[in-house]
Amino acid sequence: MTFNSLQFLVFFMVVTLWYFRLKNQKGRIWLLLIASCYFYMSFIPEYILILGGTIIVDYFAGLLIEKSEAGKRKFWLITSLIANIGALAVFKYYNFFIDNIHTGFLFFGKPLSLPLLKMALPIGLSFHTFQAMSYTIEVYRRKQAAERNFVAYALYVMFYPQLVAGPIERPQNVLPQLKEFRPYNWDNVKEGLARMLWGFFKKVVIADRLAMVVERTYGHVHDSSSLALFTGAVFYSFQIYCDFSGYSDIALGAAKVMNIRLMENFKQPYLSHSISNFWTRWHVSLSSWFRDYVYIPLGGNRKGEWRRKLNVMIVFLLSGLWHGANWTFVVWGLLHGLLVILLTRKTQQEPERRNKLINALWMLSTFILVTFLWIFFRSENIGAAWAYIKEIFALRGGSNYLGFNSRNELYFSILVIAIMLYREKFLPGHFITNNIRFYCFTAMMVLICYFFGVFAENQFIYFQF
Amino acid sequence: MLKKIASYFFIVFGLVVLWASTSREAMAFISNARDNKFWWGTYQCLHGDLVSMSYLDFVKAFNPPNPPRHAKRTAYTGTKNIALYLDGDSYTWPVRDTNFAGVSEYHFIERIHGGSYHLDSSKKNILLIEISERYFYSYFSGQQMINEVLDTTIKKKSVSGIFPVTAPNLLYASLFTGLTTTTFFNKYINQNLQGNLFNYNFSMPMFEAKAALNYYVFNRASGDVVISDDRKFLFLKETVDKNDIHSSYRPLNNDEITILVNNLNVLYDHYKAEGFSEVYLSIIPNSATIQQPEGYNKLIPRIQDAPNLRMKTIDAYTTFRKTRQVLYWPGDTHWNYDGMELWLDIVNDRFINDYALHQ
Repeated sequence: MTFNSLQFLVFFMVVTLWYFRLKNQKGRIWLLLIASCYFYMSFIPEYILILGGTIIVDYFAGLLIEKSEAGKRKFWLITSLIANIGALAVFKYYNFFIDNIHTGFLFFGKPLSLPLLKMALPIGLSFHTFQAMSYTIEVYRRKQAAERNFVAYALYVMFYPQLVAGPIERPQNVLPQLKEFRPYNWDNVKEGLARMLWGFFKKVVIADRLAMVVERTYGHVHDSSSLALFTGAVFYSFQIYCDFSGYSDIALGAAKVMNIRLMENFKQPYLSHSISNFWTRWHVSLSSWFRDYVYIPLGGNRKGEWRRKLNVMIVFLLSGLWHGANWTFVVWGLLHGLLVILLTRKTQQEPERRNKLINALWMLSTFILVTFLWIFFRSENIGAAWAYIKEIFALRGGSNYLGFNSRNELYFSILVIAIMLYREKFLPGHFITNNIRFYCFTAMMVLICYFFGVFAENQFIYFQF
Repeated sequence: MLKKIASYFFIVFGLVVLWASTSREAMAFISNARDNKFWWGTYQCLHGDLVSMSYLDFVKAFNPPNPPRHAKRTAYTGTKNIALYLDGDSYTWPVRDTNFAGVSEYHFIERIHGGSYHLDSSKKNILLIEISERYFYSYFSGQQMINEVLDTTIKKKSVSGIFPVTAPNLLYASLFTGLTTTTFFNKYINQNLQGNLFNYNFSMPMFEAKAALNYYVFNRASGDVVISDDRKFLFLKETVDKNDIHSSYRPLNNDEITILVNNLNVLYDHYKAEGFSEVYLSIIPNSATIQQPEGYNKLIPRIQDAPNLRMKTIDAYTTFRKTRQVLYWPGDTHWNYDGMELWLDIVNDRFINDYALHQ
């Protein structure tokens, strides 16, 4: 079930009220686990078997790593990593790999036909496998005790607010919170609900509205004007931000209502003054995962400049692949890596020490760069992405139709983007503490989401990863 | 204490609503119980299914001519020796046996594959498969057809691969015979929840207010309905969304057409082996295919013109495209009476021609 569905609203009401009616934590863990299973199975029920399989492997791997010494510890860690990466390899990358083999053989004039896997990618596979891997790695590093309670461990992987699109959590943060009895707290409920409403606003009022423009421009590259294509690219930057950060807001809010704090995933990324700064603000839980489990183990910046650059490129290559089995994601990741390497030196001066105009120009140029790189992320293939970029720079006329039937919708879109940016810049965090303000805010957001929301049951973009 | 009671009430209420919106039996019961009731009755719209879905009753352009003209077809009086099995859908619900030329015996069965039939060998047993264009791809590309065709003979033959991914309905809890994943999960749960929680006559002003806002301020329809470019028709969104398998505009490659044709051939052989004298296919074009042809993926002509297709086709598409008459209701997915009568003319001409019937 998607967060922007009626099913989720009813589900959330039942689970939360029931959660607070239970007087012991054991019951609450069971309730959340069953609820999370129902949540996940609402997409495609059968795929819970894959998730269940990796949970069982990682649970026992954790126990065995903790019990074993030296070489055996590594063996069990590798077993766990193979199980998780193996699931990813089979269900996410197998067809991509085979397709490329087919293309390679065809290039040499020897067509080959290997069988392809005929099934959809299990929802959120990359998220929960990465979260599961962080558990076994942390146990291996002796930074986390192996969890003996299977139900608690399964809930750590399956906790429904962050199961299908993150944030990718660490066991040290979530497991203790799941196991501790946390009483009902009205302030947390207010904060959580207000954050959820803000997430719904970003998803249904902004992201799904901008999706109309993005679908139109990406579907009509050759007959749209350069201005329309550029607008489509800029709107996609805001669409993906509002879609993904909106999801994170709902996830963090839903957990907060139950008095559970998840890690922040976004820190106003479009106000970044450089690409490397962007990556400390965008999808923070994934960036920090790669930093802690790939970049630093590879040597980070401790083995000289060239090695640092190589490590950066490896991380961004993997990050691109993590997003999807398509060359577009690989190129998107590599280009980000390249820009991080090339531009780090030039932008390393602290933004506070620059004058405001220079700072604003850096922000704008970073935003435009990121926007152009999103074109690779959004396009069907490299050729389509390249055609899109070429048509923007062709500076030609053509249809200015953006997918909106009225200029009012364009003005309204710009207005809600401005409201979103203003609120996140100047009113960050939870600013509604007073009860009356909370009720007014709730009523206002419900009405705005209802009347101005675009309800087309659009899935969140990051669900596909 | 009051808070405690309220929270239990909402837990039970939520669970009941989720269960009722999942269970097909419960939804059928609720639907019957709410039929023609006063304020808690289901919203009934007489102006078309798309007007109903988009709450655009107040836009006169999408209302049918008032009063709607009814079919006035005269009964066919010539020779009759055909036993016609019409495997149809909502397009052919209003069609009667007397509307067909040469038909002495008429059976209307929605998706015949799930039902049973006994052929009278003294007559010409004709099977006419009428299917709406929007369902054609999903139905004949494989999975649904395989599921519904129960005869084992067809399963032995190779039915080509499937494009859309539809997970098989696995039996989960073998201890509880009859419990499948569909017992607990219903892909239409959100539509059912909307019906059960909000779709009441008394709540219509709220839906109409949103529809009016979208229509007058943003110049579009709400939800799953879109307005045609000439502003005269409503279309189901899935029939115009380029990414949807029900769409008239989704690009189709030749491999997909080949698989569809191969599957039709398998079906054709199956029914011929069952004893039917002939099997016809008639694909009814989406409203968008006819009213807004630019960018059409040409699904129907590509199927009909496929050289190796064994099943005979009754071509409504070509005639519908040529005629200047309006053949669809402005606010409905279906054809109007002119559309239906034109289709009957095409079918009857074909029967008269193929079976040398005398009028």
